[in-house]
Amino acid sequence: MTRFFVLTLNGLTQGAIYASMALALVLIWRATKIINFAQGAMAMFTTYLVLFAIEHGAPYWLGFIVALATGLLIGAVVERVIVRPVESAPPLNVVILTLGLLLFLEALAPMAFGGQIKSFPPAFSIVGLRFGASQIAFSPFDLFTLGSVVAVMILLLVLFQKTNLGLRMRASAFNPEVSRLLGVRVGRMLTLGWALASLVGALAGVLIAPSVLLYPTFMDDVLVFGFTAAVLGGLDSAVGAVIGGLVMGFALSYVGGYFGSDLDTVGALVILIAVLMVRPRGIFAVQRFREV
Amino acid sequence: MLEVIDLTVAYGPVVALHGVSLTVADGSITTVLGANGAGKTTLVRTISGLTRPRGGSVRLDGRDITNLAPEDIARLGVAHVPQGQGVLAELTVDENLRLGGLWRRDPRGQREALGEAYELFPPLAQRRHLAAFSLSGGERQMLSVGRALVARAGVLLLDEPSLGLARLVLVQIMARIKTLVKDRGLTVLLIEQNAKSALSVADEGIVLHLGKVVARGRAHQLLSEEGLRHAYLGF
Repeated sequence: MTRFFVLTLNGLTQGAIYASMALALVLIWRATKIINFAQGAMAMFTTYLVLFAIEHGAPYWLGFIVALATGLLIGAVVERVIVRPVESAPPLNVVILTLGLLLFLEALAPMAFGGQIKSFPPAFSIVGLRFGASQIAFSPFDLFTLGSVVAVMILLLVLFQKTNLGLRMRASAFNPEVSRLLGVRVGRMLTLGWALASLVGALAGVLIAPSVLLYPTFMDDVLVFGFTAAVLGGLDSAVGAVIGGLVMGFALSYVGGYFGSDLDTVGALVILIAVLMVRPRGIFAVQRFREV
Repeated sequence: MLEVIDLTVAYGPVVALHGVSLTVADGSITTVLGANGAGKTTLVRTISGLTRPRGGSVRLDGRDITNLAPEDIARLGVAHVPQGQGVLAELTVDENLRLGGLWRRDPRGQREALGEAYELFPPLAQRRHLAAFSLSGGERQMLSVGRALVARAGVLLLDEPSLGLARLVLVQIMARIKTLVKDRGLTVLLIEQNAKSALSVADEGIVLHLGKVVARGRAHQLLSEEGLRHAYLGF
């Protein structure tokens, strides 16, 4: 029972991180119908930048802000410089480009920051909290991870549902041509969408780095699990991405805990196949059109 | 005043419009008639900036808008209601309407304009918070026109509003538009395949055939020209 409890808590924290990666992928998918395979690598790069800042004497919090800010910036730059010029090309071209960007960043990182495995400092202690005499497998840093993921999600929800800017961004994602006819600067909205997605990805990077150590491909697994989570959620749904992320977190934690951590990836694959057999368009696929 | 001067548009080797010119005076309705493939939709898409012309120009109140981006043309008060009505089906009725005037950054004027749109089209008020995909065809058309109203557009480009609408619904919507033309000096370019009903609301008419203007004149004159009706308008 205790073991189950420990694994559940662990799954919750991991799930929150997969959820933010999934959310990053969904944000871009909704805006441009592209899977950004470089999402993980972009987050890897921002995480290295944070470590660089911290190693050069910056306090953790400054580093944290650096991660989010450079996340925003890298997302915007990638959209403007790499995605925009091939906007009207077939979507596959852009997907290949994001794969190229992934390889590029993973080759650039060791040159810029060194290829050896580095440890990454957490914001808070990673020793489990104590309640009286017993210690539980939930550390202040886990709490911080959950808290910051939830905070970012609430902020995004408010942005998209309650603000005029969010309304413009949603409109641009649903129908760029009609949005332009309504005076919406769709190009700017796309840049902003990529920037926000990359910020959420950067958050995932900083949050997972303390538990997996930092090396140029450290985000690859997170990208795979985040992608699985996004597909589980229907690719189109932000809520679906979050729930998909949590499902992945719990499932991988149980698989790893009860059957050995070698089976993590296989577990992800089995879940993906099982869910897609039952709901081919994901759990939260939205029905868009009225049947007449 | 909307002026189209010697406009030529081509899709690769296929020329869709050959030197088309027309003028729509403020506070009037001009209808562009013609069969499928005559170039009607190309004409409105070029005016609103979605399609780039090979030659010629588009002027709004004397200003050349030929090479402006669609969003900039929209911000000059040109509202293009595309074929199939162009509502954002995933957004609510209210969100669709608000979107029309967001670029004005004038929350107060926006609220007033929203009120007017709901007053003009009461069915929309009842469905305010529903997603637009739950609307009927007529309600969608109302929503598109209402959106132009919220945008305080001076020029309305309507691309085949009759498509898929019951005749009675269309008549009601056109009557509302007519009121806007009279009361506010709205300038309307109405693209139609259904010549008879379009000519009955329009002031001026133009007939396109394979990308060329083959006839133009006062709407009631076109209605009574026997030869033209048989040759191009089919009634």
